[in-house]
Amino acid sequence: MFKLLKEVLRTGEATVKYPFAPVEVAKDFRGKPEHVPENCIACAACTVACPANALGMQTDLSAGTRIWSIDYGRCVFCGRCEEVCPTDAIRLSTDFELAVADKADLRRTAVFRLASCVCCGKPFAPEKEVAYVAELLEATAPTKADAERRRQLVATCPACKRANDVVQIDTADVARTMETVR
Amino acid sequence: MHAPLTKPDTTRIGSATIAELRRKLPHAVLDESWQTPTQATITVKLDDLPNVVSTLYHEHDGWLSVMAGNDERSINGNFALYYALSMEGAEKSFIVVRAEVPAATEEFPSVTPLVPAAVWHEREVRDMFGLRPVGLPDERRLVLPDDWPEHLHPLRKDAMDYRLRPEPTGDDETYRFVNDAESETTVVPLGPLHITSDEPGHFRLFVDGEDIIDADYRMFYVHRGMEKVAETRMGYNEVTFLADRVCGICGYAHSVAYTTSIENALGVQVPERAQAIRAILLETERMHSHLLNLGLACHFVGFDTGFMQFFRVREKAMTLAELLTGSRKTYALNLIGGVRRDILGEQKAETLRIVSELREEVTRLVEMLLATPNLEGRVKGVGLLDPQIAREYSPVGPCVRGSGHKRDTRVDHPFAGYGRTTFPVHTGEGCDVLSRTLVRVGEFFDSLSIIEQILADAPGGPVLTEDFTYRPHKFALGFTEAPRGEDVHWSMTGDNQKLFRWRCRASTYANWPVLRWMLRGNTVSDAPLIVASIDPCYSCTDRVTVVDVKKAVSKTVPYKEMERYCRERTNSPLK
Ligand code: SF4
Ligand code: SF4
Repeated sequence: MFKLLKEVLRTGEATVKYPFAPVEVAKDFRGKPEHVPENCIACAACTVACPANALGMQTDLSAGTRIWSIDYGRCVFCGRCEEVCPTDAIRLSTDFELAVADKADLRRTAVFRLASCVCCGKPFAPEKEVAYVAELLEATAPTKADAERRRQLVATCPACKRANDVVQIDTADVARTMETVR
Repeated sequence: MHAPLTKPDTTRIGSATIAELRRKLPHAVLDESWQTPTQATITVKLDDLPNVVSTLYHEHDGWLSVMAGNDERSINGNFALYYALSMEGAEKSFIVVRAEVPAATEEFPSVTPLVPAAVWHEREVRDMFGLRPVGLPDERRLVLPDDWPEHLHPLRKDAMDYRLRPEPTGDDETYRFVNDAESETTVVPLGPLHITSDEPGHFRLFVDGEDIIDADYRMFYVHRGMEKVAETRMGYNEVTFLADRVCGICGYAHSVAYTTSIENALGVQVPERAQAIRAILLETERMHSHLLNLGLACHFVGFDTGFMQFFRVREKAMTLAELLTGSRKTYALNLIGGVRRDILGEQKAETLRIVSELREEVTRLVEMLLATPNLEGRVKGVGLLDPQIAREYSPVGPCVRGSGHKRDTRVDHPFAGYGRTTFPVHTGEGCDVLSRTLVRVGEFFDSLSIIEQILADAPGGPVLTEDFTYRPHKFALGFTEAPRGEDVHWSMTGDNQKLFRWRCRASTYANWPVLRWMLRGNTVSDAPLIVASIDPCYSCTDRVTVVDVKKAVSKTVPYKEMERYCRERTNSPLK
């Protein structure tokens, strides 16, 4: 009994003032993911890695847009999105106060324009993603002509690429190339 | 076709046991494969299945860890059963007994009559795969609800989409509660338990006056179908995060068990540092879990100040988790091949500081708890788990250790970073609630020392490897010692970047079946205490039904009232 009293006295006040005063969380606390659409290239890597299906992508061909979305109600704050994002566009913050009065407010979206294929003119991939990849490839191109060729290639949709390949294979001297390789 | 007798192989632990098994049952074993140097799978003739499992269990110190059913019709035309035994005799290893069940008959000889520990597993495989265990004494459903359609077996590959929720077939509860009492008894239904976390259950206590004569219970009211979701919707790494959510208390143990199962199946060499970090986090998880249980023990004996104190100190363990993982619970730190965060110098120093604080504070609290005059009187000799019953049913964790059995996965089958630590296995001889509580106290202090040992000599280097490729239809076991005992996962990879099969056995699943024996012979007021002493994944029940067998009346008692009665032991709600 005496021990107990001593312990109680030693403890003093154990409660904190929250929510009237903020509580501190660890420096690397995994809270609400914050998305920065300016950095995002709509590559969809995060939506694939997200175990909870909190992240989504919807393509609207008629409007020529792709909509990235996050549902904070589904998010489990694992941070996989942050890990796989190539452009640092999504990061976990230390914010854990996510309550909303209207459930719809838990969903956030970002709309991206689709680029049209240089051959057929149909929209096929987000503009920013195409630009991002083109820039990466151009930077390593040995000549100006090469750079231009790569830019064209990236701006072509997969269907047209396949069609172009067939034409190229037809005109190129495939047999001889294979010979030299061997 | 019989595989030739192989000579015992010294690099493979368990091979001598298998050689001996082959001598005893010469024609039983058809095939032998090794997943790791301490993990073998032997395929046996279906008719010999009970004999083989029983021989390993009774003659070679085997304990049944898990049994997994698998729909292998797309691979070899049959269903298959995998009985995984933890061998804890001279050769400490895992031996998995595999038998194929022909798709034409869908029947297999039940192992339960020889090895009672198989009972829940066989009931489950009957529900989930529609395979009939011939000779199984208990043919009631285990997992599927009473109103589930008769011929729909969810885990068959061709059964259903994971989103399907079939219409109930009826409105009645048809589950028969079993009562072995010879004389008349009263029924005390306890439940549907309203649970703080994930598993409501319904208890029936059969009482004579105040004495519990027998008890039965029904679980799985909130079965979440995780195995099905994992097999049909998620990729390998995503399941890691699902495994984290198997349990709200010991989720990380499941996550490690799952990743280990895949790593074992594919032979992934996980970096040493990652393994060390896993062990540190597992011990962090054990600390908060044990402190929670010790707090509840105070609560149930009416010592609420102690409860408050334990929960106050437990907060430090939660802070430690937040520091190391970024989250108080559901650490989400595993990937297949390692972990996602290193422990940096600054965090190491802070961890050591919290560890020493915890040691000091908990020492004081435990002294206080043990000095509480009414503790011994309240928990000593209550809820006895007979060591023999324990041996038959393979329970795990403090529950089995409290009955004198020295089994701890961390020591028997060192996984993660435990190979680099030394600590005792605490056992108790009292077989009662007190023993189990004291085992937890001992283990709490071990956790502190394990964390210190590992931090002192953890190797450097990477914490994650991606140097492996997924190959289809590889399988293995993964296991951890969660706060409540061994968690075992059996996984088989698929050919579509998804699991072909994931069987996850939580520790409490192994402990429920013995609870019946622990309740028998005690008084109704002890029931909440006994249930809490296996530390099941919930702490409160809504209502309790008490059936007086003699008076043939049934009465539902609010759980709050049961709990009050347990603490105060006056004004019996049964009168
Ligand atoms: S933190 Fe995890 S669950 Fe949340 S959006 Fe990112 S990947 Fe999805
Ligand atoms: S991974 Fe990053 S860049 Fe790609 S869609 Fe997600 S947030 Fe945008």
